[in-house]
Amino acid sequence: MSSGNKHYWKALEEKEGGPEFLMDAAQDLVERGPRQFGRRDFLKAAGFTVGVAFATGCSRAPLQKAIPLLSQPEEIVPGRSLFYASTCSGCNAGCGVLAKVRDGRPIKLEGNPEHPFSQGGLCATGQASILGLYDSHRLQHPLKQGNKTDWEVADREILTHLASIRSQHGAVRFLTGTITSPSVLAAMQEFLKSFSDSRHVAYDPLSNSAILDAYQQTHGTRLLPHFHFEKAEVIASFDADFLGTWISPVEFTTAYRAGRNLEEKRVSYHVQFEPRMSLTGSKADRRFAVAPCDFGVLLTHLTRLVAKRAGISLDWAEPDASSVPRNCLDELADRLWRARGRSLVVCGSQAIQEQVLANYLNHLLGNYGAAIELDNPSLQAQGNDQDLESLIAELQTGKVDTLFVYGVNPAFDLPGDRWREALSKVPLLVSFSQRMDETASLAGYVVPEPHFLQSWNDTEAVSGIASISQPTVHPFAETRSLLETLSVWNGKSNSGYELLRDFWRARVFPRQKKEPNFDAFWDRSVHDGYAEVAPAVVKTKPFDLRAVQPILRSSANANSLALVLYPTLSMLDGRNAYNPWLHELPDPISKVTWDNYASLSPATAKKLGVNNGDIIRIDASAKNLKQLELPAYIQPGQHDDVVAVALGYGSRLSSRFAKVGPQWIDALLSVGENGLVGQNAASYLELKDGALRYASTQVALSRTEKQRELACTQIHNTLNVPEKLRPAGSGPRSIVQETTLAAFLKDPHSGVEDDEEKEDLWPTDHPYAGPRWGMVIDLNACTGCSSCVIACQVENNIPVVGRDEVRRNREMHWMRIDRYYSESDDGQVDVAHQPLMCQQCENAPCETVCPVLATVHSEDGLNQQVYNRCVGTRYCANNCPYKGRRFNWFNYSHDDHLQNLVLNPDVTVRSRGVMEKCTFCVQRIQEAKIEAKRRGENVVDGAVQTACQQSCPAHAIYFGDLNDPNSRVSKMMQNPRRYRVLEELNVRPAVGYLTVVRNRDQESKEEQHG
Amino acid sequence: MSKRLFVGVFENEQDTLAAVRASRQRGFKIVDVYAPYAVHGLEEAMGLAPSRLPWIVFALGLLGAGLKVWFEFWTTAIDWPVNVGGKPFNSLPAFIPVTFEVMVLFAAVGAVLSFFFVCRLFPGKRTLLPVIGVTDDRFALVLEETDSRFEPTEVQKMFETLHAIHVEEQITAEPE
Amino acid sequence: MADAVLTLRPPLIDGDKSIAQVTHDVCAPMEARPSGLWWLALAASSSLLLLGALAIGYQIAVGVGTWGLNRTIGWAFDITNFVFWIGIGHAGTLISAVLFLFRQRWRTSVNRAAEAMTIFAVMCAGIFPIIHTGRPWFAYWLFPYPNTRGSLWVNFRSPLVWDCFAISTYFTVSAMFWFIGLLPDLATIRDRATAKWRRRLAGILSLGWNGSYRGWQRYEVVYLLLAGLGTPLVISVHTIVSWDFATSVLPGWHATLFPPYFVAGAIFSGMSMVLTLMIIARKLMRLEDYITLRHIDRMAKLVILTSCIVGLSYATEFFIALYSGSSYEQFVFLNRAMGPMFWAYWTMVSCNLLIPQLLWFRRIRAYVPAVFVISIFVNIGMWFERFVIIVTSLSRDFLPSNWFHYAPTRIEIATLMGSFGLFFTLFLLFCRFVPVIAVAEVKGVLKYGISHEEGDS
Repeated sequence: MSSGNKHYWKALEEKEGGPEFLMDAAQDLVERGPRQFGRRDFLKAAGFTVGVAFATGCSRAPLQKAIPLLSQPEEIVPGRSLFYASTCSGCNAGCGVLAKVRDGRPIKLEGNPEHPFSQGGLCATGQASILGLYDSHRLQHPLKQGNKTDWEVADREILTHLASIRSQHGAVRFLTGTITSPSVLAAMQEFLKSFSDSRHVAYDPLSNSAILDAYQQTHGTRLLPHFHFEKAEVIASFDADFLGTWISPVEFTTAYRAGRNLEEKRVSYHVQFEPRMSLTGSKADRRFAVAPCDFGVLLTHLTRLVAKRAGISLDWAEPDASSVPRNCLDELADRLWRARGRSLVVCGSQAIQEQVLANYLNHLLGNYGAAIELDNPSLQAQGNDQDLESLIAELQTGKVDTLFVYGVNPAFDLPGDRWREALSKVPLLVSFSQRMDETASLAGYVVPEPHFLQSWNDTEAVSGIASISQPTVHPFAETRSLLETLSVWNGKSNSGYELLRDFWRARVFPRQKKEPNFDAFWDRSVHDGYAEVAPAVVKTKPFDLRAVQPILRSSANANSLALVLYPTLSMLDGRNAYNPWLHELPDPISKVTWDNYASLSPATAKKLGVNNGDIIRIDASAKNLKQLELPAYIQPGQHDDVVAVALGYGSRLSSRFAKVGPQWIDALLSVGENGLVGQNAASYLELKDGALRYASTQVALSRTEKQRELACTQIHNTLNVPEKLRPAGSGPRSIVQETTLAAFLKDPHSGVEDDEEKEDLWPTDHPYAGPRWGMVIDLNACTGCSSCVIACQVENNIPVVGRDEVRRNREMHWMRIDRYYSESDDGQVDVAHQPLMCQQCENAPCETVCPVLATVHSEDGLNQQVYNRCVGTRYCANNCPYKGRRFNWFNYSHDDHLQNLVLNPDVTVRSRGVMEKCTFCVQRIQEAKIEAKRRGENVVDGAVQTACQQSCPAHAIYFGDLNDPNSRVSKMMQNPRRYRVLEELNVRPAVGYLTVVRNRDQESKEEQHG
Repeated sequence: MSKRLFVGVFENEQDTLAAVRASRQRGFKIVDVYAPYAVHGLEEAMGLAPSRLPWIVFALGLLGAGLKVWFEFWTTAIDWPVNVGGKPFNSLPAFIPVTFEVMVLFAAVGAVLSFFFVCRLFPGKRTLLPVIGVTDDRFALVLEETDSRFEPTEVQKMFETLHAIHVEEQITAEPE
Repeated sequence: MADAVLTLRPPLIDGDKSIAQVTHDVCAPMEARPSGLWWLALAASSSLLLLGALAIGYQIAVGVGTWGLNRTIGWAFDITNFVFWIGIGHAGTLISAVLFLFRQRWRTSVNRAAEAMTIFAVMCAGIFPIIHTGRPWFAYWLFPYPNTRGSLWVNFRSPLVWDCFAISTYFTVSAMFWFIGLLPDLATIRDRATAKWRRRLAGILSLGWNGSYRGWQRYEVVYLLLAGLGTPLVISVHTIVSWDFATSVLPGWHATLFPPYFVAGAIFSGMSMVLTLMIIARKLMRLEDYITLRHIDRMAKLVILTSCIVGLSYATEFFIALYSGSSYEQFVFLNRAMGPMFWAYWTMVSCNLLIPQLLWFRRIRAYVPAVFVISIFVNIGMWFERFVIIVTSLSRDFLPSNWFHYAPTRIEIATLMGSFGLFFTLFLLFCRFVPVIAVAEVKGVLKYGISHEEGDS
């Protein structure tokens, strides 16, 4: 994709033209069946054929003559992509996206480079959310008691019910997740106003409520500050997985990477305290495994140390000894103090007292106004768990007459049984869910929302940055956005477009001065996807010291296991349970797919006598919760008193995956005994003293005799070969090369092994006259967030193979992220992430052995794979030192016609029996070349962006022309940190890696991996 | 014109060899000798010229090898040169194995075919045996009457002295 | 002259046969009705064959995914079986060609069967390169033929293309060699045949051979030529097969030692397979007088020799790995011996190196059942040799993240059994319809070791 031929909406008619035209096209195309076309025609047409055919109950109309459009809309050039700026609704972070629309079909989401905080990055969830658009299991029409109905009926009956409620002054509650859309909030307020007893209750299944409550106490306002990791030179994170799932991962990753810039020699120091190995922890320079019950004491200790340096004497009693060595805390306190005003303390805890201490630390360090902004706070997590507590009380007493549920799934993501029973007490339960989830199945009425790429909406994720979501394709079915629904129930039924535009004219436009003319302002906002406006005024009081109370005692009794519930970046709170891409995305740390599991520290596992895959029973009979039986997974770096289980699994939305992947005599189901993918652990959540607790349950573990082999994409986890097989005098394999900051500052070249050019047998045989494509990956920047993996999957039509095939080590991802553990000098577990794809070797071993010339070298340095010539001997894969090749073991099914619409028409869908692999997104290269040729110029640097590079929030991937000395990639190739994997083989990969540089003092980074 | 043949049938190779030597001393024209297996020393005894097959085979082998080298070079370096693993278009060393195989193939097939050709062996050929059993355990020496000095009785006597188990006289339309 | 020397040797054929007896002994079983034992054997082997056919059918219909392979281990049973069968084949050519050049007259009574074995083994081997491809229906693309793709030729740098030529040449030449050797015997069958169909069939196949000495003279020359061509051919074939691995970059495959190592291994496995078959055949067809203890003894000696060569290769591999100083190389071999698949490695060593050493003892060589059992062990061991080389090397290569394990599926096992089914079915049919012993050649050596006086009396 090249910025040169990017097309945004500019004029109104064009924007009108979009959906209008799409609908015409739909009407016009529904005449034909999808099958009577060539592939391209099919892909062009099918968008609407199947879409609308679907809406009309999948009945294929008899074949008639194809009638071309009478007037071709000027913007739509067959085969050319249009990019529409929009806002991602994958989670509440509200990152800016560009929807790539091809022949009227959105086929990919890319980060919007101009967006103020996501800056072009997009996470795995965001990348994968395009599949939700083509999810054939999405609700197609309103439901009444689970049966199909239409909007007239639903509206009429709901409105009559509401009328009676009004007359009887009944209680109406609107239960939602965080709503970042100002227009929706306004509409909702208006709606609720009309009832005498009504309330909007917002909660986040992955709650940060404690942070807001803490600020209520310390600053007098309930707000979520806006963190600026790029401004922090020292980061102390207490179980905040800010690179993975915490609040706004993409933004934080981008910022974090900006704060660790080796080229400018400014590298932040990051300490992570956490009970389990999180993605963030895997990047930390110093990491301590801390039991969840110890965080309070730990924070208290640190506070005292910092206060001492600030010259403040706290009259606190002596707290328990902390599990973290005193000298380490002293060192951290020193570093924080030295970097006061340029440091940052973040805390993911749900204990308000701990959050208050964290605030106090930031206060002592003077981080407010620097790395922490309160003036234009983040609105990405507004949930209030206290409200939630009161709501369930109300529900249980049967006080609530009508409950609307939007954007959350309380019957699944909150302690289930309790909530199911509470919800069933409500006379009228209305769900807006897009899918038949647990709550929708209880609801009297389900009034489904369209996918966010099908409706108008807006988002103000961070106060002052208002962004717009615009539809890129007409709804395939009878769905209606919340905005429109509310307007109908409020008595006026406008189109979403009018509603949004009116709201912006009235409420957003006035908040800015730059643009006097609303139309111009609106058009620019739609075009850019966002507008910078004056943040809403927040009044914060000066820091209230009375709020600060020490935590002297560890909250749990000793030697008891704490159950830590955590979100994975693929499932989050379970909202992605419908998404096969994300189920098959290996967890960035454990590399397990298609399951959740109970991770244990190696010591605990040993004590229990369990290995990976042994099913263990988690028992909290004390709280009379039903037992949970999960396969064990041994996780280095985890605290010994912790068993960690991922949330978001065991959703009924995952029942559809039973038969995903090839079906043959030995095939196993992708689901567990419960017919679902994984098991729901939400019942172990605790809603206590005003906050949802994820880590407070004490549990007992026992092993069962049962087994369940986990589908893991990496079974050997270190760069060391097993002890007894280690050749004398050989260390860890130098696949990942790393050094320490101290050593790096002395010699930027440190840590790089063997990088001198090797002798070439035929140096001049194949000169690369034109461009020669190459890639450099900065391992220090890479966080392992895996968004590149999904981006690659979307871009290159990579099939989902299912749990059983992954278990057989046959996943198809062209790009994988290898994860290696090693032991640092201070005995901590270090983690290295290494994205690996086809290395496009100049002397490619795979090419020489292919008997039929199905893989050859292009004159611009690509290792080409010719699918239709491939016979499938797999010799190339055997001879690939990187094992970057993937083989189509079966014909992977493409039966779901609606889902097929997400396929990229520029990339062949591979048949059974052929080899495939990364091609450096050759289709994008060609597009850019053609465009450049059309313009009569050379391809400019940056014109070609590979899918992985584009989506990388850490901007760790550089791609471009190695023959152009000024291109970024060739500059990076000159970087002293650059090395190549398996340099000694002299296969001359076109991919370079930059060493990992850990911010440590000791120069001897003789990594003893293992 | 018709021919007059004398067939002496023997039951072991020594007698046959002796008979052949004797006939040649006496200047009889040996049409052929029939044996169930390749009797050693018969070649010299009959004074047959060595076969020229090896030369044919040698030539064919060279031909095959030459063709193959040319073909490999032409396909990979001339007709459609592609960059394979950074190797030169004309990777001669890599062509050797196939060249060798094709050489052997040409030589072997050539040898067999030319053998069939010179021995006039082909499916469905009418088999002519001088006497029954030469493919089992009998040896047969066939002499032809050349001129008037040829004395049947003498032949008869010679065969008997060399313990021929059976002697017979045949008139054939044309020589085989 | 020569005969005088030969009198000092023990006769090659026991029982002081007359020429006619030889013909009778060999041809009679073919003309008689087959024994129940034969039917039993045929039933067993053909049902195995059927099983294999079903497995292959299913695999071609559904995909290579029905095998236990994965993205780390792209070859396992398929290529193991291929190399195994090709190896088996080599002994036949060795006996018929190499021993012929070395004037080893004792070969005459076993070479027919050995050559048949070669042909059948190569047939079995040929199946696997075809079915192991992802799209077997396109396997013919491996041959360079003018096509409409440009025209797009094949990659003559790829050992797989070398394989195609090697295997097809090898099969053609072996088949011709076998047929030439068969020609006089077909004539014999024709002339003694009572059944009309047999006479006609043999008549066509024997091309009108009539034992004329002018024919015999050229016959000898052609036979010599084919032997001369077959000898380098057999070596080249397994050399090329070994290059499939040796030309790669994979530690454990990438070894200059492979050609001699593989050729020796091939002869080793082939010889023991010949022993297995001969010992069965001489019992089934009552040919103890022709395939004598002396034959078994000589072949057993060849087995020891090749076993020692193979053993030396194992040792050399380790030494070279150590000497190379490459930790990748060193690891691969430590991993073979002590890694998760150590059992395969030690099965290989004990079957190929330790057990055959028993054959040093003359008494064991003379005790047929023992030789039979040992030959079976060697067959197993040599299958495992290929398995170890292919699978253990692949399973743990350069990047630890790629390491994975391998287990065969039912389909793969059925396919292997099927190939044995095919082999034995063909061999049993051969025993019925073709003289298992080269009659003409045996007649030629009948008198060896017997002075003329005895011979004449």
